[in-house]
Amino acid sequence: MKARFSRAFVVSGTLVASVTAADAHIIASRLGDFYAGAVHPLTDLQDLILWLAMGVLAGSLGAARGRWLVLVFPLGLLAGLVLGLSFGLVSATPAVDAAMILTLGLLLAAAVRVPAVLLGALAFGLAVMRGAANAADLAPETNRPLFAAGLACAGYAAITLAMALTLTFRRLDDGASMTWRNVAIRAFGGWIAAIGLMMVGFALAS
Amino acid sequence: MSLSRVLPLAIALAIAALAQPAFAHEQAGVSGGLASGLLHPLTGMDHLIAMVAVGIWGAQLGAPAIWVLPITFPLVMALGGVMGVLHIPLPMPEVVIALSALVLGVAVAMRLRLPFVAAAVVVAVFAIFHGHAHGAELPGSANPLAYGVGFVVATGLLHLCGITIGTLTRWPAGARLLQGLGVLIAALGCYFLAQSLGASA
Repeated sequence: MKARFSRAFVVSGTLVASVTAADAHIIASRLGDFYAGAVHPLTDLQDLILWLAMGVLAGSLGAARGRWLVLVFPLGLLAGLVLGLSFGLVSATPAVDAAMILTLGLLLAAAVRVPAVLLGALAFGLAVMRGAANAADLAPETNRPLFAAGLACAGYAAITLAMALTLTFRRLDDGASMTWRNVAIRAFGGWIAAIGLMMVGFALAS
Repeated sequence: MSLSRVLPLAIALAIAALAQPAFAHEQAGVSGGLASGLLHPLTGMDHLIAMVAVGIWGAQLGAPAIWVLPITFPLVMALGGVMGVLHIPLPMPEVVIALSALVLGVAVAMRLRLPFVAAAVVVAVFAIFHGHAHGAELPGSANPLAYGVGFVVATGLLHLCGITIGTLTRWPAGARLLQGLGVLIAALGCYFLAQSLGASA
């Protein structure tokens, strides 16, 4: 027993003594720009709200309609990034972003059964818009393919996660249209629409 | 004195001793906007009690009010917020906000069962005035989107709080308790109304 304790003491002592800095910020390593691309949209509130709203809307419509977004959304981000970098496509004005937030929120709050094609077009348009917005902040020394890969991966992960969580949340109800789970999803849409409406006001005021 | 009596007293004293001013209107950037938006509906007692009263009344009215309310109320309130941001004047905003606490408190106390459309109109009018106040008081340095997110989330959570409290209406004793709460809200509404009338006189 005593030997076991002393062995554990020596092991833990060695571990503590051999501690080095974590290097959690690997921005200076070769893959730094990949992480810059992945993290960049997650630090922008507009991206966060729009991506989340899009994912929840797709999830609320069911897997059959939403599954295309897993591919369409990251491709749209890449298309927007390329357009932004090649042609200097300027990102949308705050009023357009606000109108998009309002539209997604209203569709969610009203539980509109958006057809799969329209949903795909909406997601692609949104992704192009946000891809171009992310391109606007790129520094000249940034490795563009790595940044683009990071952005597409973040888009894929965010939209898939939001959609999957909404689908799982909905699947637990008994299929009735007004269960508390459906009300919660629609109330979330109401919140998103309210935020969008406030943004429209701010855009008009500025 | 037993531990069960001392403990809440100690917690209450600790909370009171550690209390700090909220500074809800003086923050900058995204974090400042978010904090301002979240704190704004919580730091104004007249806003807070009216939002909770809306939730309780919705729960007392039952379906469809209980599920229409959380979906539409933030949107109507945001409409008022836009009017506030654009500085579109509303008549006697402070008086109407105080009146909202009084009217909603009376509705809860009396378990007033108005037709759904009439109840929705009453709540919508008050929502516009409350939203107007929040929009007009947006701090200049704060990120507007973050402020909007904070304000909508805080308002939504206050409704949820009211609806949760309102579920007490299922039990006879709980229903009585809610009516007592309604009286308290109405009394506070009277106080705010007198204060706002005094201020505007």
